[in-house]
Amino acid sequence: MPNGHAYDFSPLRRTEISQSQSRPSLSYWQDAWIRLKANTRALISLYLLIGLLIFTLFGPLLWNIDPAAQDLDQISRPPGEDRRALIVPEYSPWTGSASDLEVGSGQGLRLIGEATTQSIRLGWDPTDTVTGYRVYRNIYPIGQERAYGIPRAEFFDSRIVNFEDRLDLKEGIYYFTVVPMKGKEQLLDLTETLAVEVKRVTTVREANQKGLIGLTEELGVGDFIDLAFHPLGTDYLGRDMLARLMAGARVSLFIGIGAPLFFVTFGILFGATAGFLGGKTDQVMMRFADFIVALPFLLFMILFKIAFGIGPGESGIGPMLVALVVLMWPATARLVRGQILQIREQGYISASQLLGGKTLYLILRHMLPNTLGVVLVTLTFAIPSAIFTEAFLSFIGMGVAPPTPSWGSMSNEGIKTMLTTPHELIFPAVLISVTVLAFNLLGDGLRDALDARMRNQE
Amino acid sequence: MAESDQISTDDSYASEAGRQLAFYAVFAILLLGIVIYGLSFVVKLTGGGASGKAVDFENNSITISVAYDPPQLDSMRATDASSFLVLAHVLEGLISNDEDNNLAPGVAERWEIREDGAIFWLRDDAMWSDGKSVTAHDFEFAWKRVVDPKTASEYAFLLFPVRNAEAITEGQMPVSSLGVTAVSDRELRVEFERPTPYFEKLVAFVTYFPAREDFVNSTDGRYASSADTMLYNGPYTVDEWVLGASMRWSKNPYYWNDNKGFLDEINVAYITTDVNAKLNLFKDGQITDTALSASMLPEAMERRWQIDRLMDGTVFFMEFNHRDGRLTNNRNFRRALQLAQDPAELVYKVLKEAAYVPADSLFPSWVRGAEDFLHNEYPPHRSETDIALAREHLELARDELGLTEFPPIVILTGDSSMGLLTAEYYQELYKRNLGLEIRIDAQIFKQRLAKMTSGDFDIVMAGWGPDYDDALTFGDLFSSWNLNNRGRYSSSEMDAQVRIAQAELDPVKRAAAFGEIQRLVHDDVVIIPMYERGVAFVVDPQLVGFRRRSVGPEVDYNYVQLTPLRKP
Repeated sequence: MPNGHAYDFSPLRRTEISQSQSRPSLSYWQDAWIRLKANTRALISLYLLIGLLIFTLFGPLLWNIDPAAQDLDQISRPPGEDRRALIVPEYSPWTGSASDLEVGSGQGLRLIGEATTQSIRLGWDPTDTVTGYRVYRNIYPIGQERAYGIPRAEFFDSRIVNFEDRLDLKEGIYYFTVVPMKGKEQLLDLTETLAVEVKRVTTVREANQKGLIGLTEELGVGDFIDLAFHPLGTDYLGRDMLARLMAGARVSLFIGIGAPLFFVTFGILFGATAGFLGGKTDQVMMRFADFIVALPFLLFMILFKIAFGIGPGESGIGPMLVALVVLMWPATARLVRGQILQIREQGYISASQLLGGKTLYLILRHMLPNTLGVVLVTLTFAIPSAIFTEAFLSFIGMGVAPPTPSWGSMSNEGIKTMLTTPHELIFPAVLISVTVLAFNLLGDGLRDALDARMRNQE
Repeated sequence: MAESDQISTDDSYASEAGRQLAFYAVFAILLLGIVIYGLSFVVKLTGGGASGKAVDFENNSITISVAYDPPQLDSMRATDASSFLVLAHVLEGLISNDEDNNLAPGVAERWEIREDGAIFWLRDDAMWSDGKSVTAHDFEFAWKRVVDPKTASEYAFLLFPVRNAEAITEGQMPVSSLGVTAVSDRELRVEFERPTPYFEKLVAFVTYFPAREDFVNSTDGRYASSADTMLYNGPYTVDEWVLGASMRWSKNPYYWNDNKGFLDEINVAYITTDVNAKLNLFKDGQITDTALSASMLPEAMERRWQIDRLMDGTVFFMEFNHRDGRLTNNRNFRRALQLAQDPAELVYKVLKEAAYVPADSLFPSWVRGAEDFLHNEYPPHRSETDIALAREHLELARDELGLTEFPPIVILTGDSSMGLLTAEYYQELYKRNLGLEIRIDAQIFKQRLAKMTSGDFDIVMAGWGPDYDDALTFGDLFSSWNLNNRGRYSSSEMDAQVRIAQAELDPVKRAAAFGEIQRLVHDDVVIIPMYERGVAFVVDPQLVGFRRRSVGPEVDYNYVQLTPLRKP
């Protein structure tokens, strides 16, 4: 290979070097926001969370229903059921007198009066040769199997020939069967079955109590009225699910956002101090943090509950908040300390120091902003875990006191009737899942958006 | 070109890694399968008869489940439903219950109850499971052991009608002074402390069951702690008892009564309190019977099961704390709470349990008076809801107590869903109707009992089940000396009536005393009755003679026989 010659080179033509920027100048936050906007999942999560906050804070203003009020006429109603009801007179006890029963009329098993959700009154003809009767109720027609349904009453006296059923009556068709008995246990085959169609009813007093009748309206017995509206149905005590979900969200989000804010702030201060000071101080402080990590959460939760003098039936939210703050900060502290240790050795810190930067300026201008990404991410991940903790503690009965709802305690109550009325479990469970997922996705997006090293990769 | 090469290598790396991952996944799933299969095999080995069917005609056996392990099978110390259940099948007292729940001869052939005592004549053919005969001495020994302060039996109070029993438990008299003597092997004499007309009903109870002295002494204080440290004289014997897992009872060859104990074997294969698990076991044909809660009834109807029911005898009520300084010591306050509620609403709309009945009285509806049911002879005061009157009483109470604002009231309740549901219902009810703030104190059973005993409550949700088949088991509950009177209610009027009920021999006067007690409980608002508990249950239709009882064992298989279903 020959050496290069002078003719191999030619002088470069003189040109104007452009100093203009190809892209507009962006601050750290502007850039992060642009990248967050590009992340659809994170953006949807963000809107979901804003929606949730509105639901929690402004929802109760629009849907102004007491979450503890019990509507015993509409217990465990799924959403969107028919709620028209007939107004009937006030209930009065029934003795089943002979004139009501028309004894000896030979009509067999018969309905007396009207069958309503208030009560169903039955009468039948006495049979002398038996020792008593059993009355059954079924929601299915009676077949060959002699499966008469729920035993509703038992009379060891052949003269008692009437029965009033008031147990949990819903509109629809019931099949009543009267089975005569011999001795105390033996059921005879001489059964009679009657299909009864039940109407949904209410009374003027109850309608007034619930504010269903307007001031100018004149409603009386025989008129129809719409029962109270529950958009998401009711729970096992007839309480409005929507109102309870909104009230529950307040507890869940208070713990979910309040506790992480406190412990992350403390963690930052603790970690930054330890990392910046370094040396022995750092060692001592971080060993203390390790000690805190080793403390069992549930035990301390109970201890705080006692130490706070929280009596029976009072809310355990205070001690829960304290326990979370006291025991959860070391994770953030460790993370921040690691970051600070790293940043302390960076060239730009030395440069800034050489240029005369003071300690406070160094921390505020260079160190903390560089840890912010990490901190925000921890915060968004801490929130769902705190919501879960609250849900779990309320689920096992350590959290809110009744009648205050929280999503966790609502799930706990809903799971008992999961098979018959699933909506009582599904609504709070879906809300917990969606909230936690949204926070997680947002945290994911924030991590990508705030990481300065990923800045120039697009 | 070079670039695309680069990418393809990356791809091959990726697919290689994917293959490896897939291999590991398959391997892990296989391993998991083996582990699960292995574990289930091990469970089968340790789980006793868990694999059997509910009804087995070939071996003439059935498979059942109980709620929990008995703490021990010592009849003299048993206090819980599980122990009572097992003991009712493996031991027999002087008197037992027949199929229709009437008293029937047990070890005693005949007996005589007099004003001052009782005599029991024992049968010759009653034998222990080692072939020796059951003698009067076995009863004398067992009863003395019950009242011995060293035994510290919680149910010793059931023997208090026997002379000196109470003094002996308090350590004031020697054990030998108990008023019971075995005159011979076949004759047992009992002296009473006071006339006890209902003594024969007491004798049928577990605490009065026999035990043989030489055997109990030979077990070194471990009597009845396992299957082989116990002797049996009932229709069945416990063959095998794996704590927390299973039990097996088999027919006792030495048992005298041919009309009891027809099965060769009863497997207690499942020990669980989970009603849903039991329902699933029943659906799968693994156990012979199960109780049904309200939410299970629609499914039971859909499956066309023959649902049965029984009032289990227990009455539930809100008991007030009558100690000085408690708000609930004020009668007007209690009256306000009484008037502002309706047990029918609680039972029919909130609890929705098919076999529950709203209660109006301390005495459940099945309790008998002199001739008829007590409720027919002395009709209880029906509950009358009157909120305006309730508010008036509340104002009276406010004036009497000199309060401007009522402090929060604490309702102590169990941690079961039923207890919480009831408490939450009353919490809102009293807030709506009377403006009172109620706090709910939900505690596990032991803690609740401790708080009830120490008086750390305003109102407690309590229940009382019968120990023997007589109105007195409820009637003496609110006498000032009864330790189960947790609210410490005390009135001379009540005490006087209880004394009449305890000692009176004339059934009519006795029933009148119970009627008076019932009235006092209502008028003085000692308690607010809520409901009488019942149970809805299903039984495999191939079992004939299955019984649930309100007094004694809650489930009774002693009379069960297997009969194949008739083909329709």
